Amino acid sequence: MPVNAVRIAWRITRLNFRAQLEYRSEFLMMIAIGAIWQVSVIVFATVLLTRFTGMGGWDSSDVLLIPATRMLAHGLFVLFLGRVHGLGRRIQEGVIDTYLVRPMPVHRQLQLSYFPTNAIGDLTVAVGLMAGALSRSDLDWTAGRISYLVVAVLGGLLLEAALFTAVACASLRFPAADYWGRWLEELLGTFGSYPLNVLPRAVGGLLTYGLPLAFVAYFPAAVLTGHGHDTGVPYWLAAASPLLGALAYLGSRRLWQFSLKHYTGVNG
Amino acid sequence: MAAIHAWRAARVTPLGELHTPPRMTAALLRLTVQIVLVASLWHGLYQNTGTTAGLDRDQAVTYAVLAVLASRLRELDQYAGRDTVLQHMHFGTIIYWYLRPLKPQRYYALRAFGEQLYGLVWALGGYAVCLASGVVEPPKSAAVAGVFALSLLLGQWVLYYVMLVIDQLCFWTLRNGAAMLILIFAQNLLAGVYAPLWFFPDWFITLSTFLPFQATLSVPLSIYIGRIELSDAAVQLAIQAAWVLALALFTRLLWRRAARRVVSQGG
Repeated sequence: MPVNAVRIAWRITRLNFRAQLEYRSEFLMMIAIGAIWQVSVIVFATVLLTRFTGMGGWDSSDVLLIPATRMLAHGLFVLFLGRVHGLGRRIQEGVIDTYLVRPMPVHRQLQLSYFPTNAIGDLTVAVGLMAGALSRSDLDWTAGRISYLVVAVLGGLLLEAALFTAVACASLRFPAADYWGRWLEELLGTFGSYPLNVLPRAVGGLLTYGLPLAFVAYFPAAVLTGHGHDTGVPYWLAAASPLLGALAYLGSRRLWQFSLKHYTGVNG
Repeated sequence: MAAIHAWRAARVTPLGELHTPPRMTAALLRLTVQIVLVASLWHGLYQNTGTTAGLDRDQAVTYAVLAVLASRLRELDQYAGRDTVLQHMHFGTIIYWYLRPLKPQRYYALRAFGEQLYGLVWALGGYAVCLASGVVEPPKSAAVAGVFALSLLLGQWVLYYVMLVIDQLCFWTLRNGAAMLILIFAQNLLAGVYAPLWFFPDWFITLSTFLPFQATLSVPLSIYIGRIELSDAAVQLAIQAAWVLALALFTRLLWRRAARRVVSQGG
């Protein structure tokens, strides 16, 4: 983006933030819901770890790294690229049609459409969980490991963005595809936080090759904690998860351009 | 005559669903995948464990799968039909609810009733398949099945009122998006959708007894799998009935107060 575009984006974001403050109780509750939603994942994971020790052969401190990575990636996705989620409703309201006649890329307008208040809560809990996971970890956190973790979080962010962008592309043609977006969110939240080797091989395969959920946090965490050879996929593939996220996002943006060209509006 | 009008209002949402086959196909696929995943997860977790928190593997799997099926009972996307209280408040069309010959509270109740009946058909279909394929265990006796059915009915009744309170919140706050999300979270956690409440620490179980969410799902499912004995069921049913009564009176009060706040555009 050129400097002028960055300045415009920053001004719009500030205005959006002030707009969110118009409904003060809703604003505070949105921060709370971001936090509460993530706490629910922690509660579930904690209960399972307490009752079923050695989940999938992983120590509880290692398991904790999976939801921490996923949650941090998710919080950053919500903050920077999350507006693609729920696009179907905006299409039904005809909002996209007005974006098309403005002198700014549609995707950028969409991302600047409102400030994601809930991301504040999401990220607060995610940072707390990551700090907790790192402090409980027995691993030697070398510069290499830390760099890989940072890249893994960014890769997870891009992979989640790619999946939701693909659903948004479908929404441009079928606004009801929004339904799939909500399901995707549920699946990522429920099954993205545990070692998938606890599931039968076929189900684990489905969440690896059918829906690449395992690449968001499970594989990077497995590589970091030394379980990379027991994931059921070649080690190099598990290690390349962040790269896959970047490639998937680039692919999804190409798909977005193609889908937008073929968008005909809600009235045909 | 009144019954015919009631039936017509109740079937609005289910008819909307029946006329959009892709939504139904998606719902079927989602339900199937969710059941397979949840059953697989609990089977996997119990691989090296016998009984934990008083639940063996079959009980835990049955509980988890029934929780998924029960979540279908009120899962219709009213938003797509543009008939949520939030949308009516946003677009100023809530006034039409007060201009019809049908009272808003009656219209709301009939729509919800239709939705829950439609959801029940899905849940029963799913239950029949799961039972036939051995994914869930049958109830221990006819008495257990009967008490479970009664408890589930009371639970859905409680859930209806809880959802209604959140919708009524719109009359005061204009928006209820965050409140609805908090409710869904509280419902999933405190009703035992994420994991049976029996797995949680004692203080958590005690805390949840003071809230209505446990009555919506945890109680009926615990009766079904035998974690609540029939001898203790009467107390639980009474608590559920008390919640129904308390929430009915509270929402009735809110409907009255809400009506005073509704103005047409421009006041």
